[in-house]
Amino acid sequence: MPSETPVVRFEDTSKHFGEVIALDRLNLEVASGEIVGLLGPNGAGKTTTLRTLLGLIKPTSGRAEIFGIDAWREPVAAHGKLAYIPGEFHVWPQLTGAQILDLLGAVSGGYDPALRDELVQRFNFDPSKKGRSYSKGNRQKIAVIAALMTRTPLLVMDEPSSGLDPLMEATFQDCLREAKARGQTILLSSHILSEVEAVCDRVAVLRQGVLVEYGTLAELRHLHAHTVEATYEGDPPDLAGVPGIEDVYVRDGVIRLQVTGSTDPLLKALATAHVPSIQMREPSLEELFHAYYDESADASAGAAG
Amino acid sequence: MATVTRRQRARAAVPANVGSPPALVEVRSPAAVWWRTYRHHLRLLRNGAIAWIVGLAGIGWGVAATFEMRHGSPEELAVLRDMVGIPAFEALMGRYVRPDTVEGLVLSRWGWFAILAAVWGMLAAAKLFRGAEESGHLEPLRAGAIGPRGLLTSGLAALYTTHVIFALAIGVGHTVGGMDPMTSWATGAAMALLTAAFATGVGLTSQLASTRRRAVGVVGAALGVTLVVRVVAAASATPEWMWWTTPFGWIGYLHEVDQARGYVFLGLGLLLATLIVLALGTTRRDLHAGLLGGGEDVSDPDARPVRSQLALAVRLTAGPARTWGLIVGAMVLIFGLLARDFADAAADLPTTVAMVEASLGWSGLDTAAGIVAWSFLFAVLLLAVFAAGQTVAIREEEATWRIEHLLVRPVSRVRWLVTRIVVAAVAVVVIALVAGVLAWIATTLVGTPITLMEGLRAAINIVPVALLALGIGIAVFGLAPRLTAPLTYGLVIGAFLLDFVGGLLELPEPVLDLSPFRHLAAVPAAGMNVRAALVMLAVAAGALVIGTIGFRRRDLQEA
Repeated sequence: MPSETPVVRFEDTSKHFGEVIALDRLNLEVASGEIVGLLGPNGAGKTTTLRTLLGLIKPTSGRAEIFGIDAWREPVAAHGKLAYIPGEFHVWPQLTGAQILDLLGAVSGGYDPALRDELVQRFNFDPSKKGRSYSKGNRQKIAVIAALMTRTPLLVMDEPSSGLDPLMEATFQDCLREAKARGQTILLSSHILSEVEAVCDRVAVLRQGVLVEYGTLAELRHLHAHTVEATYEGDPPDLAGVPGIEDVYVRDGVIRLQVTGSTDPLLKALATAHVPSIQMREPSLEELFHAYYDESADASAGAAG
Repeated sequence: MATVTRRQRARAAVPANVGSPPALVEVRSPAAVWWRTYRHHLRLLRNGAIAWIVGLAGIGWGVAATFEMRHGSPEELAVLRDMVGIPAFEALMGRYVRPDTVEGLVLSRWGWFAILAAVWGMLAAAKLFRGAEESGHLEPLRAGAIGPRGLLTSGLAALYTTHVIFALAIGVGHTVGGMDPMTSWATGAAMALLTAAFATGVGLTSQLASTRRRAVGVVGAALGVTLVVRVVAAASATPEWMWWTTPFGWIGYLHEVDQARGYVFLGLGLLLATLIVLALGTTRRDLHAGLLGGGEDVSDPDARPVRSQLALAVRLTAGPARTWGLIVGAMVLIFGLLARDFADAAADLPTTVAMVEASLGWSGLDTAAGIVAWSFLFAVLLLAVFAAGQTVAIREEEATWRIEHLLVRPVSRVRWLVTRIVVAAVAVVVIALVAGVLAWIATTLVGTPITLMEGLRAAINIVPVALLALGIGIAVFGLAPRLTAPLTYGLVIGAFLLDFVGGLLELPEPVLDLSPFRHLAAVPAAGMNVRAALVMLAVAAGALVIGTIGFRRRDLQEA
């Protein structure tokens, strides 16, 4: 509903570290119940975005809000409604896993012990060991369990499944779907594109601190080229003048090309020839991501040049 | 707008292996890898070594260079000469041998600086042999073409390089400062060997113990025991050979008149050689483990729950508080037990004691209360270092981002920091009070009791200085977090040295007055300097407020 306060809202949020602009006038809203993926190459500003949202660093200008509460000015009120999974979880070496979970649950204002036990079981985690003896994956499990066991309305995650093995990664994705089914809102930065593709409703692409794209996956795909592969018999179709096509290959009965925007002119042109088969494929998220990434590389090269 | 095809083109543009592939890189020669590792270790040690060498050798030079100026008159020389008869001094400084000569006075100071040099050696070695491993930097080195023994020898070689420079700095500095060249070089060599022995000791325990804390703790305990032995050796009834039982006793025989330098170097050399052999013989251990117990599987299913950030703060402070409480308590206890002996020996020299006290601004060294006060003058340094360490521990929570786990939950920064400050302050007070009670028990046991109230007053007297260290440390943490450790420790040690040797360096009074240690009264032999205490508490409170506000307003900062 448009009138509803967004769960997360960035308003012209910028963050500078000296000369470096880590985040440049970000405007972004996440509605209740949505799962939003934050994508971008290393150094794009994803972690800065999340740390600004959590009130751990102060925006140079603009503001970040959680349920309408300013994250920097009133962090305690804002944090009552969220749980956070960092990309790297540093533990207190002298505390056991159980002690850390207990502590984080208690300072969160309470948690469901039955849910904790269930998560401990599902993630195959041994909480009796001292923090210093856990591997990276096991430390990450503590972060995941501690966040999920509180059932807060908002979950903020910074590469949450880094270090988890493929089985645990699948379990984690199941948990995300369950959280969504419960109505929890999730803001998730990830490098695992299949994870984002599998669970996210919307995707925000950051590049050098700037939000370059924000929309549903379908919207993003619409903006990008589709791959077309077809076969023909007899004379090839005349594709000259068809708008939006490039990388055209027409030879020996095979047509391959990319088309951006409406496919109608292309289909009409193909219909002038005998075309027994045609396949049209949307770009995967990985291809979309690389498209943005390559643009970024090109832009950098241009700037450098 | 760019399209996916651009990426496909980019992929196609990835250079293929055209023609013959580049030759595979052969493993470098072991000597070259060792040399690179040695230089890497040296780089890690560089900044700390420069600070310690300049600090220690510089103060030694200052003592030598100002000797004539400070102690030129026959009366002043007489005062120095008679210090030999006051065992309370020898208990802390080691043997006094001809302190009325520049060599004797400088050597007596090195009896104290040697403790700092040993601490430097231990901390530097722990950084190389355990710190890199615990922070995960060691794996890439171990995965390279260097084995555990190569890592140990390159680390030791880097440490010894800094110790040789230390010896050169002392030798040259003291000679220039007006000391006999032979004694200067002997002092430098002995201090370097002593520092190297403690560094190598940590090199050994780093192979045996599974954590940095334990590795340093074992050698630190050995250092503590040797110092206790030195205090006992200073007592009048103790036979002379007691000095020869520890390295801190040996270095008391460096003066030419003792004609014992050969034995001193023999002892230090043998100790160092033995430790090197033992360390080299114990390099076969797993990563993140020690030969005497693994660090891997530390299971504790019945661990008591930690259910609030207060409980967490108590838990994190309790360990260091216990360790420092033990050190402070042991020192006060030993002095208390020897208070009668020390006081009686001093009472036999009433004129000398009066002159020494006048020159030091101290009082009551011929009474048990005076000896207790003397021991608390050094207890306060330890307590201030503990307080500074607490601010460093607080910074550590931020530098490692463990603080994030709490601050992304409904915990305010101010509440978190104030909780840590209060727990640290309570620990300071408890350690001081325990020391006060131990002083009362010890002096009661030897039949020259101070009252319990006097013990507690001595304890309360030193608390403001430690709280001031805590306050300054928190202010640094709030305003310049990355400087918390060097600046806070530096200020505490600097202020102590300013009081301790500043007078010898002819510094102007207003500068000397900057050291809070200078304003400590000899409680319980004298009344407490209430005004100074209140000023220190007010400054501490102001610094705490500034630090807390600074922390509330700034970004969290990584290491």
